Amino acid sequence: MNGSSLTLDSVELLHPSEGVGALSFNLEPGSILVVVGRNGAGKSTLLKTMAGLMPTRKGNVLVSGRKVNDLAPGTRAHHLAFVASTPPRGTVLSVRDVMELALEAGGQVAHADAVQEAMEKGGVAQWSDHLLDHLSDGMAQRVMLARAFVQARDLVLMDEPTAFLDVVGRRSTMEQVGAWMEMGKTVVLSTHDLEAVEEAGWADQWLLLRPRAKGGSQFMQQKFNSMEIKAMLTDS
Amino acid sequence: MRQRVSMVWMALALLVLFATGLFSGPAHLSLDQEWEALTGHGEDTAHTIMWKLRLPRLMMAVAAGAALGLSGLLMQTFFRNALAGPSVLGVTSGSTLGVALVSLGGATLGWAPEEFGMAPQVMGALLGSTLVMVMLALVMGRFRSRTALLIFGLMVGYLAGAMVTVLQAGADAGALQAFVHWGMGSFARGGWGACGVVFAALLPLVWWSLSAGNRLDMWTMGTLTARTMGVDERGLTWRMLGAAGVLAGLVTAWCGPVAFLGLATPHLVRAAVPHRRHRSMVWPVLLTGAILALLADGVVRMMGIPLNAILSLIGAPVVLLLIIGRSRNRPALAKS
Repeated sequence: MNGSSLTLDSVELLHPSEGVGALSFNLEPGSILVVVGRNGAGKSTLLKTMAGLMPTRKGNVLVSGRKVNDLAPGTRAHHLAFVASTPPRGTVLSVRDVMELALEAGGQVAHADAVQEAMEKGGVAQWSDHLLDHLSDGMAQRVMLARAFVQARDLVLMDEPTAFLDVVGRRSTMEQVGAWMEMGKTVVLSTHDLEAVEEAGWADQWLLLRPRAKGGSQFMQQKFNSMEIKAMLTDS
Repeated sequence: MRQRVSMVWMALALLVLFATGLFSGPAHLSLDQEWEALTGHGEDTAHTIMWKLRLPRLMMAVAAGAALGLSGLLMQTFFRNALAGPSVLGVTSGSTLGVALVSLGGATLGWAPEEFGMAPQVMGALLGSTLVMVMLALVMGRFRSRTALLIFGLMVGYLAGAMVTVLQAGADAGALQAFVHWGMGSFARGGWGACGVVFAALLPLVWWSLSAGNRLDMWTMGTLTARTMGVDERGLTWRMLGAAGVLAGLVTAWCGPVAFLGLATPHLVRAAVPHRRHRSMVWPVLLTGAILALLADGVVRMMGIPLNAILSLIGAPVVLLLIIGRSRNRPALAKS
């Protein structure tokens, strides 16, 4: 469908039950959407719905022109990837393993050179033989971000990826997001970290999730202004 | 390369242990007699000892050790918890209850399950283990912490244990004695038929574990990440639980509720090389499980102590060391 990475066509979410209104918008390749909203506003539900992990109440989510719920899990993984707010703990995988799995999940050839190249592109090659479990939260989250961008051809969804990171970790994550965007990947990022997003400077589209009773959700194509958004959030 | 060398060493250790078990025992046969019996030329008694007692027992140890090792590996992957294992999460207890219902309950009601050979007991054990696995899978989403899940397994174990005690209290002396004997654990029961069944279940599941290696690796990164990496959550869940339950249930049916082998085997493999993908863990886990079972069986034969006592005497300290080691070993990089 006209080259869009992600299209929401009158989507109503399952949660929260009071509803946030019907969501409709198009994201072009290489663009980014910042999703803001108070706790419980439905940010995680929206991202899971976009990822095809939850059904919609009404409407359709299209990823690269195809209904995301019609895609088989394997095919879906070629098009989109998801970054959770905390990196996995307790796994015995090394950084190299994670990147190799990402290439395989994305339907790409995972030979040693490709893995090395992916690690360098993601800025995680210096930890290649470390176990993911032995890295700090910030480092591990950086690996998970690189993993997602290597895996997905079109779309990377991030659910509060900086929630548990310190100032340095937040800044470096936001910088990394900008770098990947420039390579043509579309990003949807939900966050409470308004200042870090504004500081990074790449955000020019955002979606405020708000209950119907408070005026419903708002999709804006304009420069991200943390003060203004904070005021809108306080009001919701 | 290093892994291949260590696999060769493990295979050699397995062969040496197997041969030691085969050519030693209380019957005082000479090596010549044993060899002749093995090649089919010896006298009847020696032939019976070698072909009907020693060989099937050793083969059962190999099959059971490998099966419990793989079952433990799959459970630790599924629950993303290094302390998961058939004997910890109540799966073995479920099997025990299944067996008790058939053998003790059946005898009490005047039904003689032994008329049907081992089939009722095997069915009871399989049903018991699978039922507990399904229960665990159903409740695991409700628990925020893995510790709560372990406690759930422990409680299921207690509950099953209490029900077994009730059955024992009402059972007749003969059935009770047979049940208590079974509960001590042994690789000497079942003979070739049982070995065949365990191997027949094990081989396709080994093949599956190898072919599903990548998906199992992705699973360790969390359900959400795994699903968005293309893993079919429901399909993989049922396959992992089914495989782990069938393997643990089958072994329990014949060998009794074998303790710690399923929990300890994947640990020993990981302790040797901490970084392992599933596809490179399956064979070492099978070999280590078989080696541990043969070692334990050797001690049983030398000292006359029941199998489960040996395994608990070794297994319990291993788990304790593991917990202590885990709480002490905070990785250096994670602190920065």
